[in-house]
Amino acid sequence: MRKRTLNQRMAGQYAILVLPGLILFTLGMMIPLCMAFSYSFTSWNGLDATKKWVGLDNYIKLFQDKYVRDAWLFTIKFTVLNTVIQNIAALLLALLLDSTIKAKSLFRTIIFIPCLISAIIAGFVWLRIYGSVLPALNEILGTDINFMLFGSKETVLTGLVIANNWQWVGYWMLIYLAGLQSVPHELLEAAKVDGANAVQKFLKITLPMLAPAITICVVGITTGSLKVYDLLVSSTKGGPGYASTSIIMQIYNTAIAGRQYGYGSAMSITLIAVLLLIAVIQLKWLKKREVQM
Amino acid sequence: MKWRKMTGLLMTGSIAAGMLFGCGGKDEGNTTDTKGEEVQESTAKDEKEPVTLRILLAAGSGTGMDEIIDEALAENYPEIQVEWEMINWNDLNTKMQTYIQSGLPDIIVGKATDAVTYGKMGILGDLAGKPYLDNVNEVGTESVTVDGKVYGLAFDAMYQGIIYNRKVFEENHVEIPTTYEELDAAIQTFKDAGITPFATHFVDTWSIGNLAMQFAMGDVFSKDPLWGDKFRSGEVSFVDSPEYRQAYENIKKIYDNTWQDETFSIEETASDAKFIEGEAAMKAPGFCPTDTLYTLDENFDYGLFPYPNATGDAKLLFQADTTFMKNENSDEAVNEAVDKVFTLLTENKEMVGEICDITMKAPMIKDVETTYPDPSRNDIEKYADANEIVNVDIGNNQLQWGGFQDENAKAIAEWLQGDITIDAALKAADDRKDNSLQ
Repeated sequence: MRKRTLNQRMAGQYAILVLPGLILFTLGMMIPLCMAFSYSFTSWNGLDATKKWVGLDNYIKLFQDKYVRDAWLFTIKFTVLNTVIQNIAALLLALLLDSTIKAKSLFRTIIFIPCLISAIIAGFVWLRIYGSVLPALNEILGTDINFMLFGSKETVLTGLVIANNWQWVGYWMLIYLAGLQSVPHELLEAAKVDGANAVQKFLKITLPMLAPAITICVVGITTGSLKVYDLLVSSTKGGPGYASTSIIMQIYNTAIAGRQYGYGSAMSITLIAVLLLIAVIQLKWLKKREVQM
Repeated sequence: MKWRKMTGLLMTGSIAAGMLFGCGGKDEGNTTDTKGEEVQESTAKDEKEPVTLRILLAAGSGTGMDEIIDEALAENYPEIQVEWEMINWNDLNTKMQTYIQSGLPDIIVGKATDAVTYGKMGILGDLAGKPYLDNVNEVGTESVTVDGKVYGLAFDAMYQGIIYNRKVFEENHVEIPTTYEELDAAIQTFKDAGITPFATHFVDTWSIGNLAMQFAMGDVFSKDPLWGDKFRSGEVSFVDSPEYRQAYENIKKIYDNTWQDETFSIEETASDAKFIEGEAAMKAPGFCPTDTLYTLDENFDYGLFPYPNATGDAKLLFQADTTFMKNENSDEAVNEAVDKVFTLLTENKEMVGEICDITMKAPMIKDVETTYPDPSRNDIEKYADANEIVNVDIGNNQLQWGGFQDENAKAIAEWLQGDITIDAALKAADDRKDNSLQ
């Protein structure tokens, strides 16, 4: 009898251990994904027993649908703003908390607390803040600042970006903080001895060493922002009009509220494809820049 | 090396077992048929055999209805046990999509429009001819009847129009407007007095959609009760309908005379609070009775009048609300138990009154006394006595809410904010014709 090699035996053991997770992944992700893919070629309303095959009609309609286009546009703008602002803000806060300021633990806790509440609550809280709390400041201070950021198409994106960043910057800050604290001090001291100033040390040593953390944060914030829904449901409800309707909200409104399950499934498949593409591109590009010690 | 393999297998087995047990077990007494549908296994061989009913309650607010019904059942039909599932009405469609695949509850409690929607799909039982329907107000039963089949038991109702602050109206000597001209005059009087004419919360787009249908009832469906069907057949359109254009212009009038800077930023409770404090004279859309206003101020005195129309003969809108529906596919024992529950709901007047006192909605069950404070009651009775009430479901059952009215409301919001023209907003409705009814 041919003896199995050590590698083969190890591979078999790994397969056995991975099997439960793989089964759950298949049942909970792959099968629904395949079902959604098949529904996307039908005009099913989600309720009828029969599903009428319509071929590629849903996908053709998708690319001609103004509302889907606008939802993508909003989602992309929201994602880009979040990715840039949240990364920079999280990194700056991490640098601050990695310095010698007093009460670091208190600041870390205060900044992190919003992450603990659900996005639904965050949306409701900011609706109240913009609608009632901040306008009351105008009365107290005698000013006339427009705090009703959710009230118009021009300002609703700003209002949502502020709310989203307020909630999640603490989470990413912790990742950058962990990254900063893993930068070897000897490197920084050696650079100091060589005459490097604070900016040079940050750009030449700290930032490259933070590349893995940057990868995690950029990919995480991007994919999370592309899937924004809860925040919108409790705050703007996608309005005014369609001004803050994200692609996920458009999918829900189409498939569930509008009972166009087939068409909504086509939108979902498109979204998954875009998410995969963005994640792969980001990971490949960012991984190249990671420094391995 | 053998012990390593054994250890690996044991760990895998324990993880898998943990996950399987953690996901929950089967309910006792339930079986699954070959299509995967869950069928309530009835053990009832005679009337006293215990029967468990599944009730899906999609209530707009936590009514306490379940506890009251449980108490009444324990007293009258102790063999009937109920498993309640309470959800928000907005989630009913999602739940129904799931349950249609996996097995419907025995009783579904939703709105009258749900009875029509799901009844047409053939999944609800026909209650026509049941003796307990004699105890239900005929207007309520009409709301849930399609082609002679009665798909629900209409339990309570709401009235819709414009809610007005009686004190503000009296102090400014304003009479109830019935025509557009009278409404314009009232608006001007309030503006001159520094009072915002209308309290609105357009961030809740459903309020725009409600206004659109309510104005349409006054100007469109009052003239042509089958307008929605004609719309689908291509005989009429939103763009070419002067009446629907007028309905949209009416919404614009309200928007021009409300707190424009805030309406897309404050939700209903905040808007109601400002209304109660006298910052606005009227609230649109308005639903009576209302527990929200009562919760904010028990002593707030308000009334209700119909949305004015061009000819001054607008009617107050009535809408059957909480509706009990039966699963078409329940077995005989469960059907009997459901009939008993429906009999209880229509004959136990005290229980019905108790529920309506909590929900603060008008009962559709005959001869029910309620004691909840309703300042608008006299107004409603006045319009009812003069036969000036019309069922808004005439329109709602022709132009469905989900995917049509709610999407049109968003287009109206875009127009109100100046992003699109009124023609574009009307055309957006025409472009959605295929989604107007399913």
